[in-house]
Amino acid sequence: MLMLLLCIAQAYAQNRKVTGQVTGKDDGQPIPGVSVRVKGTSNGVQTGADGKYIISVPENGVLTFTFLGYAPQEAPANKPIINVILEFNSKQLGEVVVTGLGINKAKRTLGYAQTTVKSAEINLSSPINAMGGLQGKVAGVSISNVSGSPGGSTKVILRGYTSIGGSNQPLYVIDGVPLDNSTNGSDANFDMGNNANDIDPNMIDNISFLKGSAASAIYGSRGSNGVIVITTKKGKTGKPVIDFSTSASIATLGYLYEPQSEFGQGWDARFIPGENGNWGPKYDGVVRPWGAVVNNTQLIRPFSFIKDNVRDGYDNGLELNNNISVSGGTDASTYLISYGNIYSNGILPGDFDKFTRNNFSLRGTTKYKDFSADASLNYIDKNGNFLATGQAPTGISTSFYENMLQIPGNIPIKDLRNYKNLYFNVDDYYTPYAENPFYSLGETGSHSKSDRVYGNIKLDYKFTSWFTLQFQQSADVTNSADKIWYNTNTPTPGSWVGGGNTEGQTRKPDVGGVTEQNFENYEYDSKLQGLFNTKISSAFDFNGLLGVNYNDRGLRNAASSIEGLAIPGFYNLSNSVNPPTAAEAEAHQRLIGFYGQGTLGFKDYLYLTVTGRNDITSTLATGHNSYFYPAANLSYILSQSLDLKGSLLSYAKLRASYGETGSDTGPYSINNVLNSTNVGLGFGNLAFPFQGVPGFTIANTLFDKNLKPERVKDYEVGGEFRFFNDRLGFDLTYYQKTRQDQILSVPIAPSAGYTNKLVNFGAVRDRGVELAFSATPIKSGLVTWDMNYTFTHSQSVVTSLPVGLDKVILGGDGYGALFVAEKNKPLGLFEAPVAAYDPKGHIIVDSQGFPETAAANGIYGNFQHDFVMGWNNNIRVKDFTLGFTFEWDKGGKFYSGTADLAYFVGAAQGTTYNDRNPFIVPNSVQAVTDANGKVTGYTENTTPITEANTDDYYYFNSNKAQAWNYRILDRSFIKLREVSLSYTLPKTWLSAIGAQKASVSVYGRNLYTWLPAGNHYVDPEVSNYGTDLNSEFGEFRTAPPLRFYGASLKVTF
Amino acid sequence: MKNKYMTAKSVVFIISALIICGCNKINDINVSPNNPPLDKATPEVLFPSAVVSTAGRVGGELDIIGGLWSQYWTQSVAASQFRTIDAYSLTRNDFNGNYTELFSGALPDYQLAISQAKANKQYPFYLMCTVMKAYTYEVLVDLYDKVPYSQAFQGAANLQPKFDDGHTIYKGLLAEIDSALATNYNVALSDADAKTDFIFKGNMDNWRKFANTLKLKMYLRMVNAYPQEAQAGVQSLYTSGADFLDVDAGVNIFSDATNLRNPLYAYEVFNLGAVNLRASKTFTSWLVANSDPRTAIYFGTSSPTAIDQGNYTASQSAEPSYYSATSPKLSATDPVYFLTAAESDFLQAEAAARYGLGNAQASFDAGVQAAFAQYNLTAPTGGVYQYPASADLQTNLRAIIYQKWASYPNSHTLEGFFDQERTGYPEHSSVYSLDPNYVPGEWVYSKNGVTSGKFPKRLVYPEAERSTNSNTPPEVPITTPVWWGLPNN
Repeated sequence: MLMLLLCIAQAYAQNRKVTGQVTGKDDGQPIPGVSVRVKGTSNGVQTGADGKYIISVPENGVLTFTFLGYAPQEAPANKPIINVILEFNSKQLGEVVVTGLGINKAKRTLGYAQTTVKSAEINLSSPINAMGGLQGKVAGVSISNVSGSPGGSTKVILRGYTSIGGSNQPLYVIDGVPLDNSTNGSDANFDMGNNANDIDPNMIDNISFLKGSAASAIYGSRGSNGVIVITTKKGKTGKPVIDFSTSASIATLGYLYEPQSEFGQGWDARFIPGENGNWGPKYDGVVRPWGAVVNNTQLIRPFSFIKDNVRDGYDNGLELNNNISVSGGTDASTYLISYGNIYSNGILPGDFDKFTRNNFSLRGTTKYKDFSADASLNYIDKNGNFLATGQAPTGISTSFYENMLQIPGNIPIKDLRNYKNLYFNVDDYYTPYAENPFYSLGETGSHSKSDRVYGNIKLDYKFTSWFTLQFQQSADVTNSADKIWYNTNTPTPGSWVGGGNTEGQTRKPDVGGVTEQNFENYEYDSKLQGLFNTKISSAFDFNGLLGVNYNDRGLRNAASSIEGLAIPGFYNLSNSVNPPTAAEAEAHQRLIGFYGQGTLGFKDYLYLTVTGRNDITSTLATGHNSYFYPAANLSYILSQSLDLKGSLLSYAKLRASYGETGSDTGPYSINNVLNSTNVGLGFGNLAFPFQGVPGFTIANTLFDKNLKPERVKDYEVGGEFRFFNDRLGFDLTYYQKTRQDQILSVPIAPSAGYTNKLVNFGAVRDRGVELAFSATPIKSGLVTWDMNYTFTHSQSVVTSLPVGLDKVILGGDGYGALFVAEKNKPLGLFEAPVAAYDPKGHIIVDSQGFPETAAANGIYGNFQHDFVMGWNNNIRVKDFTLGFTFEWDKGGKFYSGTADLAYFVGAAQGTTYNDRNPFIVPNSVQAVTDANGKVTGYTENTTPITEANTDDYYYFNSNKAQAWNYRILDRSFIKLREVSLSYTLPKTWLSAIGAQKASVSVYGRNLYTWLPAGNHYVDPEVSNYGTDLNSEFGEFRTAPPLRFYGASLKVTF
Repeated sequence: MKNKYMTAKSVVFIISALIICGCNKINDINVSPNNPPLDKATPEVLFPSAVVSTAGRVGGELDIIGGLWSQYWTQSVAASQFRTIDAYSLTRNDFNGNYTELFSGALPDYQLAISQAKANKQYPFYLMCTVMKAYTYEVLVDLYDKVPYSQAFQGAANLQPKFDDGHTIYKGLLAEIDSALATNYNVALSDADAKTDFIFKGNMDNWRKFANTLKLKMYLRMVNAYPQEAQAGVQSLYTSGADFLDVDAGVNIFSDATNLRNPLYAYEVFNLGAVNLRASKTFTSWLVANSDPRTAIYFGTSSPTAIDQGNYTASQSAEPSYYSATSPKLSATDPVYFLTAAESDFLQAEAAARYGLGNAQASFDAGVQAAFAQYNLTAPTGGVYQYPASADLQTNLRAIIYQKWASYPNSHTLEGFFDQERTGYPEHSSVYSLDPNYVPGEWVYSKNGVTSGKFPKRLVYPEAERSTNSNTPPEVPITTPVWWGLPNN
């Protein structure tokens, strides 16, 4: 067949050859499928996926360029290269988007929902990473900043979660090649950012979100969670253009917990000067001594609540985002050189949360006759200082945020800043139960440095008008290193903290330590593909591709640490009282994929696309490591087919798709191994070697050679409808995605000799509805108001679990709260102790009056939102544009370790219940037992929780039955994500400085957060449990989020 | 033109062929560079690992539970880590780690080492691993009653092992010890192999004695539930001329360095800042009443300030001394004992007292002396340190068990808890220790106890097993004695 086609193609050889590229005026993107004809003849070809064409033309011939949705053009064929720019006459029909493998296609041919956002939208409020400006703007795409630290990670999830134990991360593809998105060095204490955030958003031309398997299957295994396709800018033919943008933002504290303001320092309802709790008496404003007694002196101040106390512990931060690029080109070649610089210093006093990034990019394209090349090279230098969040490593150090939370409301945080001063230093801090947070700030820290190079080269050879061979090779290599340090201190015996306080308590020493880690990530991706593009008859056209892909990626990590510093304040691995511990880890995997795709179009209104891919992976055993998966989608342009032009309905498209994706697992998951023994003690460890003797133990996870690939099955139906000349439109999608045969390490009975087993099991099904509604309520020469509303509802349900398991524990912490998957229930349930009830529904309390704990845990709900809404507006009045975006996420639960500590220290608003007077647990009974301890009945409870026991009532150790009611909170929020006001400078001003265009903007990000009544503690979007499913468990005393205000200037010369 | 197509086709063909050929070997790289494969395991690397696993848990978190429930220590008023233990308010979600570590860490390593040692005729390792397996298993049986045994550690072959009753497991373990003793175990280990024996450095005579003493302990555990079997077992030991431990069986390998510290010290002192465990009035009142010189060893002072058991919610105004209560004296280099010479003597004393085997008086005295010699102290004489040599077994037994109780801190406190459950000594006090009529040493019901006056006797199966093994027996209250426990105690 191929030979036959080749022969036919040869028949065209005549006259002179003209090549060129057709691009869109709107976005400069190549347009595939443009019909290029010699005027007055039947001689015609179509542009390929890269917008390029090659045609034989007689002398003095004229070429016509026609494409649905664009105004036709003509050009005399008087030179060998003729590049053409077409202009829309119908946006919906003509829009071209980047699809699988970076190939451009007309959007109307796609049988699935795909959203594309453009550079202007991405950079509206000058975020320092690509996703930062898109929150609340795209249906089915959840974007959140999990930490408030500059340079921290951005969590992006496309549609709902379906993988229980594996990754739910989308695949990032930049200019057709995969991008590494590691989170090196990050753990529950440190968020050192994700690598996808390295891309300079100023250099992005557009981002497409491929949410379903029909769209993403062609990417192979890693596309099973959706794909984010990033296309970067490149130079355009013409004289050199200089783009310059600069922005400066002030970062301030976003949402911060609101402590109760009635009760002050103390415990058990008494004022105790050394206590870290707010369990003392009511504020009375009487001037009292506070803090340590030093040299027989003590500070005094009124015993009253200090407003904005915690806020005063933070400063304002500064963020600068600058970019300059030079680009241009000739008919044959283009170039682009860019430099971007980010400086961000967060809200902690000093440089303890500082982040800088330098991006250098080079991109060039060239063509010579039938050959063309496109290459890019990027270097990123990244430096960050990060502060530990969460629970500090016990015995080593304490954490800034935990120490902040433990300061009673009457102690002036502002004054504590100089932690070396008398009364605030190591020995004389007011309490032995916590440390001065500013000590934690100044004497602990981390630094992360990373060097990254990524780029690719793409070579095209256009053999004929309908066949192009393409080879693309990419490399993405990151070297990063981080260092974490904690100083050592020991309170002097007899000092206030060393036992001299009124309770005689001594704070344990911080032994301190240093950790050094190095990471190397590498990913090489090779791709050879043939692209076909032909018009079969007047009614049918076809384009397709066949390809092979080879991917090789891995990680090397070496880590060393010491515990205990010999010389305080000197942070080096040599400076230890203990021998260093060292560890290394490597991971290496390969994948080969063969794939093909074909789209058959009928009369510009019906398109069928069929895709198939077969992967061979290194991570599964022979016999299970080769797997095929198909996908198909259908697009029907109703408006075109029925020729509804001129009616109210300006555009209507129906689409349907089905897709599957196979997915492998991480390396080294099929053979059983030994571990060098490290016995966890609960607190602390015992690690070999002991006395020069090594010890190895059977690894706790039971691996399985028979693991097979996971499989995602996905279908989607939807439609796109536009009315009144596109003034009103909506796009509706219903989808169902099921991930089967999930590879998951499930807990097994320890008595089987292992704690976990890697298995393939059942399924999680995610169903959802995505609606995007757009309208232009006002459109006049003076004023244009565009708005865009998105609604997403999705729910992931566990439809099967491994045989014998009624639940799988996903994670959890929070002193006994678990994050679990149960069959036929929504994914990600919160399970924690609950109170015991008598048959009549009364709470059973024990002899102390405290509720008894039921034998089994109860369910406190799940993490999933009922819905997510976004409302995005752009109002243009002459040269001014006002934009603002709201997001409302409703429903779901999360665990808050901030709330936990706030309850422990009596700062939580809920602790003022009943004015802290003695009370009997409402609706409670006590069990009546016979001589054998058997319960014979229940009587009304008359034992109150005393004033002195109020604190115990809210604490999980003493009221296990109810504590999680106060710690598992409503996840809902409404946020004003972004506001921007831009002014486009008039041309007359610009000519004075030789600029082509310029605009200035003022903007704000994360401006305001509304939380439900039960949550006075923490922004539910923050987490220190990473960026995947586990992060939905909640947070453990993490950094508060940031709010930004700023201004930017963008000039093009 | 034609040539061009041919070239392109060749390129496609060659590259595809290369890739396809490569595919056969693609998963050759899937061998972990991070971990040795399972078949590289030997008794020499498994045994020391398993011993440290046993020591880490029995001498760590379980020692804290044992120490609180044997009333050596109680929870401090100024912290809260162990309140749930001290209030007997433990559920299936608490302390999963001990069960999990012993079942999936220590025991399968002993088991694999045993099968390899047997196959390779490494009989010294066979005996060492068998004794330590039995010791570790016994702790689990004594805490949980029924646990998996006959179907345990089979990995994928049996993911939900059935539970065997404690008596069956005891019999199985005793038989396993006998099999190991019946081999030609008494050969000298190489120097390198002897180093892997943290307990006796390859001294196989001591291993035999440890095996015999462990058997004696296990038979004596059965005196309530299976009195004939217990007696027959003890008698057969004596008739066969079994020798018992005269040195301490334990590990003395810890140092004050990262991840090498004594597990109790690492847990409570290094990580938690020594803010939780405080001297319990129950124990200090007995020590002080008897002017026991070990007081200074256990608490660092001969006049410790104590908190009454479980009274951790008392306010500073009510009980000002609580805030300056004494912590147990723990050191990073403390050994973890599995079975001490003193305990061996006291077990022999009990065997003599019960069955007239050997000399009860001599064994008792030897036990007291060994218990003090452990701390380089000279044993006092008279009073409670003197064997009553009564005609009444209970009087003798009481004296023995009190001395055992006083000897267990700081590293094998669980034994004090087990002894009380088995014998009823020290007695349960009818009044709280703040009461003037309180008798020093008698165990008081925790001030914040939630079990209606009933003392804890066991642990409930942890969620880690219950949620994964449908054979897990129904939950039994923690106040119900295990199979060998003294009824109505």
